[in-house]
Amino acid sequence: MKISKTNIQKLLKKFGQLFNHGDRPWFGLLILMSILVLVLMVGIGYLLWRDSALSRSSFGLSFLLPTKDPSWDPVNSDFQAWPFIYGTLLTSVVALLIAIPISLGIAIFLAELCPAWLRTPLNWLVELLAAIPSVVFGLWGIFIFLPQVVTPIGNALYSAFKNVPGLSAFFAGPIPQSGSSRLAASLILAIMIIPTISAVSRDVLNAIPPSQREASLALGSTQWETIWQILIPYGSSGILGAVILGLGRALGETMAVTMVIGNSIEGTISILRPGYTMASIIANEFAEAVSKLHTSSLIEIGFILFVLTLSLNVIARLLVWSVTRKNPQEARS
Amino acid sequence: MTTNYSELLKRGVQTRRLRRKSVNGFMLSLTGILTLLALVPLFWIIGYVIYRGGKTLNLAFFTQLPKPMGMAGGGVLHAIEGSLIVTLMATVLAFVPGVLAAFYAARNPNTPLGIALRFSTDVLSGVPSIVVGLFGYTLIVKPQGHYSAFAGSVALAILMLPTIIRTTEEMLKLVPGALREGSLALGASEWKTSLNVLLPAAMDGVITGVLLAIARAAGETAPLLFTTLGNERFDLGSIIKSGVQNHQGIFQIMGRIFNSPIDSLPLTLWKYAQQPYPERVDQAWGVALILMILVLTINVIARIWIELRKKKLRG
Amino acid sequence: MRKSLFVTMFVLLVAAMVLTACGQAATPTATTAPTTEVMNTSAPATTPMPAPTATLAPGSVQVNAGGGTFPLPVYTQWTYAYQYVDPSVVINYQGIGSGAGKSGILDNTLDFAGSDSLLSADQYTQGKDLQMYPTLAGAVVPVYNLSWAKAFDATAKIPALVLDRQTLVDIYNAKVTKWNDPAIVKLNPGLDGYLPDATITAVHRSDGSGTTEIFTKALTAFSADWTAGGAQSVEWPVDKNGNGIGGKGNQGVAAAVINTKNSIGYVELSYAIANSMPMVSLVNKAGKTVVANADSVAADMADFATAFDDKLNATIVDGSSDGSWPITGYTYFILHTTSMTDCVKASKIVEFFTWALTDSSAGQAAAKLGYSVLPTTVRDQVIAKLSAVTCDGQPVK
Repeated sequence: MKISKTNIQKLLKKFGQLFNHGDRPWFGLLILMSILVLVLMVGIGYLLWRDSALSRSSFGLSFLLPTKDPSWDPVNSDFQAWPFIYGTLLTSVVALLIAIPISLGIAIFLAELCPAWLRTPLNWLVELLAAIPSVVFGLWGIFIFLPQVVTPIGNALYSAFKNVPGLSAFFAGPIPQSGSSRLAASLILAIMIIPTISAVSRDVLNAIPPSQREASLALGSTQWETIWQILIPYGSSGILGAVILGLGRALGETMAVTMVIGNSIEGTISILRPGYTMASIIANEFAEAVSKLHTSSLIEIGFILFVLTLSLNVIARLLVWSVTRKNPQEARS
Repeated sequence: MTTNYSELLKRGVQTRRLRRKSVNGFMLSLTGILTLLALVPLFWIIGYVIYRGGKTLNLAFFTQLPKPMGMAGGGVLHAIEGSLIVTLMATVLAFVPGVLAAFYAARNPNTPLGIALRFSTDVLSGVPSIVVGLFGYTLIVKPQGHYSAFAGSVALAILMLPTIIRTTEEMLKLVPGALREGSLALGASEWKTSLNVLLPAAMDGVITGVLLAIARAAGETAPLLFTTLGNERFDLGSIIKSGVQNHQGIFQIMGRIFNSPIDSLPLTLWKYAQQPYPERVDQAWGVALILMILVLTINVIARIWIELRKKKLRG
Repeated sequence: MRKSLFVTMFVLLVAAMVLTACGQAATPTATTAPTTEVMNTSAPATTPMPAPTATLAPGSVQVNAGGGTFPLPVYTQWTYAYQYVDPSVVINYQGIGSGAGKSGILDNTLDFAGSDSLLSADQYTQGKDLQMYPTLAGAVVPVYNLSWAKAFDATAKIPALVLDRQTLVDIYNAKVTKWNDPAIVKLNPGLDGYLPDATITAVHRSDGSGTTEIFTKALTAFSADWTAGGAQSVEWPVDKNGNGIGGKGNQGVAAAVINTKNSIGYVELSYAIANSMPMVSLVNKAGKTVVANADSVAADMADFATAFDDKLNATIVDGSSDGSWPITGYTYFILHTTSMTDCVKASKIVEFFTWALTDSSAGQAAAKLGYSVLPTTVRDQVIAKLSAVTCDGQPVK
């Protein structure tokens, strides 16, 4: 080939063209990574499903259903998850009931009432509460919160409801002196989910256009009436989404709950007695489950937890998305 | 006597107004009180951890391995090193896939893969950490045949991934489209644009997201329960020293580090908190203090960065 | 310039980690390979060397073990002291519970396990070549925390709480639910009026525990009323009844009893001594009231001197002599005998076991914590069994 100027230019052009294919490997890489994330989610669900096959086929639906006399018997290989499902649901729901009013109050304060200079520090502080690791909550719970706060509350509840028919079963039995009980777990869970619910609710309230507030105030409402009768209904689906996110977090919380709930496979429904949650039983027993059925039962509990949090997450996202979609502003999800 | 209707009306309006005003004032101050109420546990925990933990902190605490139960003294060097190693490795594992997946999600939010990707991110962010630990055990520990720091960091990386993806995606969406179009108009290819123009523009936010993810991962215990076992004899210095003495290559030394069971600050806290030995409980508070300082410092740095960036954008 | 440096460093770091993870993951023994190469250049067969350990660099052999918290105080002392005996090996023993130890040795995630809970026939089959080696005997003692109904005289010594075997079973069966139950008062005439009218909170283990197995086997032997079985993990009647609490590990039970008024629990003797917990005295099979200590444990061991079977397993609860403590058990190491692949590690493990059984300072450390060392005949049997451990077909050590 003649070494001429045009030939060299042609070669260089060919060489440069190599890099023009750089986009295809790049897109390929992006797609690969996205598929990786997908595979992860599917993989977790699949692995849990596969490894719980033994207990699913042995016990079927009776594993999950409420029973009067549940058994969790590694010796005789008879397992029922109802005590743990009950413990998880009870502690999460009670935590939600306590956390919702407080979180709404915080969200309203931060979104509507807070002076501008205080807003950022307060936002930080509330989010800092979310940053505290779960084990530290558990440590503080065992040594400080339980003896000083939970036990007195438990004793008060016990004496108050001792003779009330119907409710006395729910508040039965004196709370253990150490405070380890479902009540303790509920209270600590409430503290832990308040930042989640309030942050998302605050964003939802901030996303509501000011025209709504202005119109309401122009018609003569007080600020509280505006908030309560206009803004909250307007953002209700978003706030509901926030609540469901908090619920999802409460369901999966492991360490703090295990440290304060007493780890007892209790027969009573009382909130003052020690209990057990799904996450706690996995944390406590998985490392030592030797028989295949035991391991499989624990993994099935993990699978139930996964499905629960998955569905709650989906519902929550849809709700938050539906309210922020109405408005042009971007809401942090 | 004729009823003075206008007088009645005026009084009725006045009482209603008064009632509405007082309800207004009451509820608004209630929200302020509730906010303060929520901050009480924050200050209580931080204050008490500083108080109890501060008493046990000394140089030996940071530089020594623990002594057997019942003996006084010793430290938590193994846990500090373990936390740093596992968190660092988790960040390395999660950063690249996270950023790349976010690029895809930001560019193609409405393709089937994009929708599925965002859905998976949301799902992964809600998976309980104990389930991720189970996954790490089944996927890595069992086939490999030993507990390892690597398995622990994979579990943590799975927890960090959704946060990194979500923040990077948001940051990329905030980059003005003109930047990207200008770069393409000048002839740069897509990947060059992404890496050299878009990523640096979004870098501040990406770093923030990574920092927040690190802070979360540093405080997690449940994923490490079934993947790292715990190891009070882990001493980075002696592993490196013995590796050098044995003329092992750097890869082999690193391999040894990543393949041995390892402890971490939250795991140590979990173990020590439930011991009856008073020295261990005191050490638990010390570990809590170290962990809190670590996590809160990272959080505060991330937030300050956000504020500085906002100020910069405002000009 | 700075950015490309950062990118290059990052890529190198990722590559390094990926390479080490992939490369080392398949060959966990590769890290010890260089040392064998240095020493056995002329012997390519993988016989472990009888050469002096001084040529192995300090900390180069990592042994990972886990198991019961029953012997944990002693094992942590032993592993801590052993790093001065043989600096080349680092033994990491985690108190994760006997059940987790057994599970770990069965799926080969641990190098050896410590367990006071016996392997079942199924587990022996599953593990194929597992062998249990008794190391120590220890006592499980009921501990309690009572807020007395009235104050004792400042000078009077509080008499120890006495329970008999049937009453202990009744407490954990939730048949005796209050501290001032007539059955308890009858056994403690000196405490009449002091025992509070309070519900007994019975603390048990929440994890799979050899201590529980020893305790429940004792309960089974004490009375036919105990039907929950004798195993590492049982369904506690007190839980069903609403007055049970689970604690993780011996230390969790001890902490739960210390923090819960009017509770009773069961822990290994050294935990009760270390935390100065009030201990229950039991009326044993011979009708004598005994306190848990090294002598009563030794008496019980003597009652069952020939109880070891071929697998070196023995259950020694409820001895019949006057001075024997009824809730005693052996604790074991579990090891694969023929299927270990890392021969350096295998020989280090066997050396450690031998040291633990024969070294006088090791025995003294155990005795100081309230455990009893094996009688000489049994110890010799164990060492004989240890010599049968092989690695790659060749006997270890």
